[in-house]
Amino acid sequence: MNFENVELIFFALAFFLAALSAAGYLFSLLVKRVMLAKISTWILAGAFLLLTAYLIAAAINAHGFTNLGPRALFAFYAWSAGAVYLVLQFKTKTRLLGAFIGPLVLLFVIIAAGQEAGKTILPEGLQSWLATGHLALSIVGEILFVLASCAGAMFIMQNSLLKSGKFTSMSRLLPSLGDLDRINHLCLLCGFPLLTTGIIAGAFYAAFVWENLWTSDPKVIWSFIAWLVYGVLLHQRLALGWKGFRMAALSCIVFLLLLLTYILVKLCFSSLHNFV
Amino acid sequence: MKMIILIGLNHKTAPLAVRERLFAGCEDAKTLLPEFLAIEGVAETLFLATCNRVEVIAVIEDNPETIDKLKTTLMKKGGLTDGEASCLYIYRDDKAIKHLFRVTSSLDSLVMGETQILGQAKDAYRQALAQNATGVALNRLMHRAFRAAKRVRTETGIAANPVSVSFAAVELAKKIFGTLTGKKILIVGAGEMAELTGTHLVGNGAEEITVANRSQAQAAALAEKFHGRAVGLEALDDALAHADIVISSTGAPSYIITEDMLRQALRKRKNPLLFLIDIAVPRDIDPAAGEIENVYLYNIDNLQDIVDENVKMRRREALKAEKIVDEEVAQYSNWLKELEAVPTIVSLRTKAEKIVRTELEKAQGWMTGMENGDREKIEALVQGIVNKILHAPVAVMKEESAEFSAQDIVAAARQLFRLDE
Repeated sequence: MNFENVELIFFALAFFLAALSAAGYLFSLLVKRVMLAKISTWILAGAFLLLTAYLIAAAINAHGFTNLGPRALFAFYAWSAGAVYLVLQFKTKTRLLGAFIGPLVLLFVIIAAGQEAGKTILPEGLQSWLATGHLALSIVGEILFVLASCAGAMFIMQNSLLKSGKFTSMSRLLPSLGDLDRINHLCLLCGFPLLTTGIIAGAFYAAFVWENLWTSDPKVIWSFIAWLVYGVLLHQRLALGWKGFRMAALSCIVFLLLLLTYILVKLCFSSLHNFV
Repeated sequence: MKMIILIGLNHKTAPLAVRERLFAGCEDAKTLLPEFLAIEGVAETLFLATCNRVEVIAVIEDNPETIDKLKTTLMKKGGLTDGEASCLYIYRDDKAIKHLFRVTSSLDSLVMGETQILGQAKDAYRQALAQNATGVALNRLMHRAFRAAKRVRTETGIAANPVSVSFAAVELAKKIFGTLTGKKILIVGAGEMAELTGTHLVGNGAEEITVANRSQAQAAALAEKFHGRAVGLEALDDALAHADIVISSTGAPSYIITEDMLRQALRKRKNPLLFLIDIAVPRDIDPAAGEIENVYLYNIDNLQDIVDENVKMRRREALKAEKIVDEEVAQYSNWLKELEAVPTIVSLRTKAEKIVRTELEKAQGWMTGMENGDREKIEALVQGIVNKILHAPVAVMKEESAEFSAQDIVAAARQLFRLDE
């Protein structure tokens, strides 16, 4: 049986729901209603399920998870962002975080839509579970860091609102400082080991399967810097007890710097990791 | 003809002394409800007595004597003089329904959006049910009143934001900490306001209360109420290092909590977030403390501004609530009108007519072979049977509507013949 159409339908539906939930979240911020954000969370959950279905269908079509194409890769980015966010919803009532994550999920789905559906990333012979593991772990780790920074950005917003001595409807809408700090903490705590394992898996893969020089690759260097910086963040948090505003501000600055260097690397150097 | 009437007084029309007397006189529902029901022309009744209002709602025959008797019975209960009779308002039909709906929706309350009144109205209804004092009209009326209240609560923001300083402080604390469970409170100065705020914080999960006061005895007395700990002002530095929420309300002429003290205390803490509530005038906490990272300082003016803003918002939401009440009143009064006999008799006949038409049309098939005369005879026969069957219920409804109790029978007829579908 040919699953290509099924795959396409799942993707299209996921695209539609992701767009709907992103719009819902942003609109809830505009009209300052939590109800809209709640509905958008359910829509996002729907988009997440469809993305899961799409990834499974894509894997069936590609005969396994080791040789998925670039579209599936970006869909996986969107999938992990959705997954991490939805898990956090069980832990804390911070629906407004969706105003950041919703558009992010949509962005990944849009990028995925721009990719060819069938083409595999890696040539035959180089496909391996190590590569898949490397990608999956690194992606989830990176997403967790993005979320830590989102929580940081919201902390800064809520902080300045509460510091003003007033209590606006925007303040009511945003999650509490305590919850945001907890999210920042949780995301750093889970993200760091995942990214570490992801990078190690990548190193093993390069050494044993690919048998290729990889240390000089700019993307690899960038990843290593990112890993180091987040390690420092976690250290400040756990060892020095940095919490609250300082941690939130640092998370945001680090995130912006990494984003900037990433774009520079992407523009100025050619990389083995050109698909991302 | 029957009507709905509401006689009562509230905090807007009567001074406290009058309300008190009437409330005291109306406390015993067991004797009061039968007394109202004994008045000639009163079919159903219910009364609501709270510290802010006493209201009697009744379904009565439309005649001035009955209204007068209800009013004098009520006045006697509270020992109201003729001069004080002007405190009472009397609303009829739609106005009475609307007043009741506004009361249960807390639009008529001293603090708009409060929730207590709904519970009190439910109790009053339960009381009346237990005494068999209500019937079709009042039962439906009360259910509709509760429904209106629920709609107002969920569809408008009338009860959304706190309108007292102490509750505003609780809401702020929640926005800072997320949850108050396990949070430690330090009360500096044993003021009443600080005590109230502390009580609300504890009600929301805060634990461990420390009271610091110049007079140890006062501190101990307040600490006792919270099962907390009392310390002298000299131990303030240490107490600050352990607190998450500080409520200060001393009569000190200058700052007793300085920026320096807070910076020192913060160094010793694990949890960085610190919420300072300064309700003292002159202020107890150096305003510069608000600049410290992770410290959130609110003074009495900040809190009062929040409350004022919330009161304004409730007023805006009240406009939406009035619309909901109007809708509900219209629905109920439509239903009430349909309880009258004439429209029910008409719809009963229409329904029977429709059934006869459809059944005869169905029979067209096998009746084609008949002669015209025979067919007309069958039609006349069918019509005759239907009329005979309908004769008794229609006659009873007409008789009863001339009396007082048509409502029950009309309601039953509407249900038995499924006229509302």
